[in-house]
Amino acid sequence: MTTGADAIDPLLDAEPCGFVSFSDDGAVRVANQTLLDMLGYARAEIVGKHIETILTVGSRIFYQTHLFPLLRLHGSAEEIFLLLRAKGGEDVAVLANAIRRERSGEWITDAVLLRLIERRKFEDALLEAKRAAEEATASANSHRAKVQGANEQLEQQALELELSQEQLLAQTVELERQRSLADDANRAKSSFLAMMSHELRTPLNAIGGYVQLLEMGVHGPVTSAQAEALGRVTRSQQHLLRLINDLLNLARIESGRVDYDVQSISLNDVVQATVPMIEPQLATRALRLEVDVPLGLLAAVDREKVEQILLNLLSNAVKFTTPSGCVSVDAAPASDDDEMVELRVRDTGVGIPANRLEAIFEPFVQVENSKAARVEGSGLGLSISREMARGMGGDISAESTLGVGSTFTIRLRRG
Amino acid sequence: MASTTLQRNNVHVSGRGTQPMLFAHGFGCDQNMWRFVTPAFEDDYRIVLFDYVGSGKSDLSAYDAERYSTLGGYTQDVLDVCHALDLRDIIFVGHSVSSMVGVLAANREPDLFSRLLLIGPSPRYINEAPDYFGGFERSDIEGLLETMEKNYIGWANFLAPAIMRNSERPELSSELEASFCSTDPVIAKRFAEATFFADNRADLAAVTVPSLIMQCSDDMIAPSPVGEYLRRELPGSTLRTLEATGHCPHMSHPDETIEVMREYLGTPIATPSVALIAE
Repeated sequence: MTTGADAIDPLLDAEPCGFVSFSDDGAVRVANQTLLDMLGYARAEIVGKHIETILTVGSRIFYQTHLFPLLRLHGSAEEIFLLLRAKGGEDVAVLANAIRRERSGEWITDAVLLRLIERRKFEDALLEAKRAAEEATASANSHRAKVQGANEQLEQQALELELSQEQLLAQTVELERQRSLADDANRAKSSFLAMMSHELRTPLNAIGGYVQLLEMGVHGPVTSAQAEALGRVTRSQQHLLRLINDLLNLARIESGRVDYDVQSISLNDVVQATVPMIEPQLATRALRLEVDVPLGLLAAVDREKVEQILLNLLSNAVKFTTPSGCVSVDAAPASDDDEMVELRVRDTGVGIPANRLEAIFEPFVQVENSKAARVEGSGLGLSISREMARGMGGDISAESTLGVGSTFTIRLRRG
Repeated sequence: MASTTLQRNNVHVSGRGTQPMLFAHGFGCDQNMWRFVTPAFEDDYRIVLFDYVGSGKSDLSAYDAERYSTLGGYTQDVLDVCHALDLRDIIFVGHSVSSMVGVLAANREPDLFSRLLLIGPSPRYINEAPDYFGGFERSDIEGLLETMEKNYIGWANFLAPAIMRNSERPELSSELEASFCSTDPVIAKRFAEATFFADNRADLAAVTVPSLIMQCSDDMIAPSPVGEYLRRELPGSTLRTLEATGHCPHMSHPDETIEVMREYLGTPIATPSVALIAE
């Protein structure tokens, strides 16, 4: 037996976990062979020394500030993570269970030390994932700020464009130069927006994916309060994603990177395919829908895009029409041009002031009406719709009487 | 306001004397740590115990990350408790980081305090080469933070810190573990940073309240050179080196700790003004 050491049971010596006993003043009394092997020490190098000898400095502080008080006040400590310092200087991670009790008139702490190798990797990965999630949130916030900056830039550019147009009227020579400048700015803006939207969608999809994993309980059980909070995160993430998708669409269209698959399509088919999509909103707001589209009327259009335009106009009509009003859709050949057909959406809604009828087709514009509650949306729908109608050789225009209702007319090439 | 502070800081008052002894716990613990020494002073003093916000059974909803990012916030807790109980002529007993909290409180309102008893004090834990030896390098403190972080996984606080303070589950909150060392991991990390990255050396010279430095033998958290430094830099201080080893003599060697405290409290305060009056 080594000087100062207690005798050690051969069975304890060979247990598949480290074992150490020490007195209140920290002097090691027993260390089993498993622990000695774990740390590369001979028994005589540890027994009689202070327990801090086999701890890293960080774990020594933890021992003095947490573990010793816990043992002294509570008598035991369970599942304590500690980093041991091996003789060769390397760190050895262990999980400790310890109990302090009186033996032969002296207070002794016995501790078993279970080595953590795979589990530590898992815990490191868990902490790393937590940090990554925190960083992703911070990065999403900073992207949001950038989009705001881009918006301000956009408004500023629109303002500059307006000013230059006034000058153009006075000086026709200046006109071409200014327009080309504005076009350059617009292209730069659009490609910037397209790039930013991509940048934004990546972290947003990551947020969505990780939230889904959390909701599925992949990282452990989820309480109902946590599930509710995760639901809120998901809804906000989806809302933000919709806004960004709209932005991306507009940017794509404006930069001329959209292809149109034009075919001869029945307008009645288009209307029949679109109406069911807004029926739930119609029912919620108790609105009547009237449809009058001749069966044989054809238009030369990209079917998917014209349905998107119609759905957008119908959603707007529903949003801005007070309950028990009426929304109607009709179509006819254009009265002033044999080559064109017109598809009209009318509502009995709040109406649009005459001086705003053109502005509503600008990106990010919603008509401010003190009587109507603010309506959710990006303010991009109409500008996207008009750009797409123009892309197919048509256009969209609006007429309105305040308090009576609005009519949106989509002009399309005859099919 | 007063009752709010008393609940917020889980204040307990006992003892049969009139002069208050205010005991301030250290990092990693709560007021339970004083239970081996306070009975010895109950006959002669009014004993005041409390938990800092974020520790023990304090009101965690009162935690403000900004306020408690430095020792200034903890100092305000001490002063709030003093005002709530209208304490005067206070004997302040602080362990470890609370020693410096006591120094800061005594500098803010010197009239409230009669003596500071500092157990294992250190004004700066990190070495400042070449002149100052605090005992640690910055990487050592980062090692502590890692150990703490891993332990909060083990204690299930990592994923659901709210469980431990859920009043609907008294079987958890009534247990000692629930209040002891079970602080929210974010709070514990901030307290560790506020403690171990603090540098209060410049605050020492302004202290006018007499103090006792209780230096343990072989204390790795506050080693002997730190005690010597304090004796030189802290005006009106007395240094006593205990036979007790480690960092928590009030828990490991309560008898010696009590004896040294009593002895110091029995000595008259020698200040220049008192000496002049005596002449």
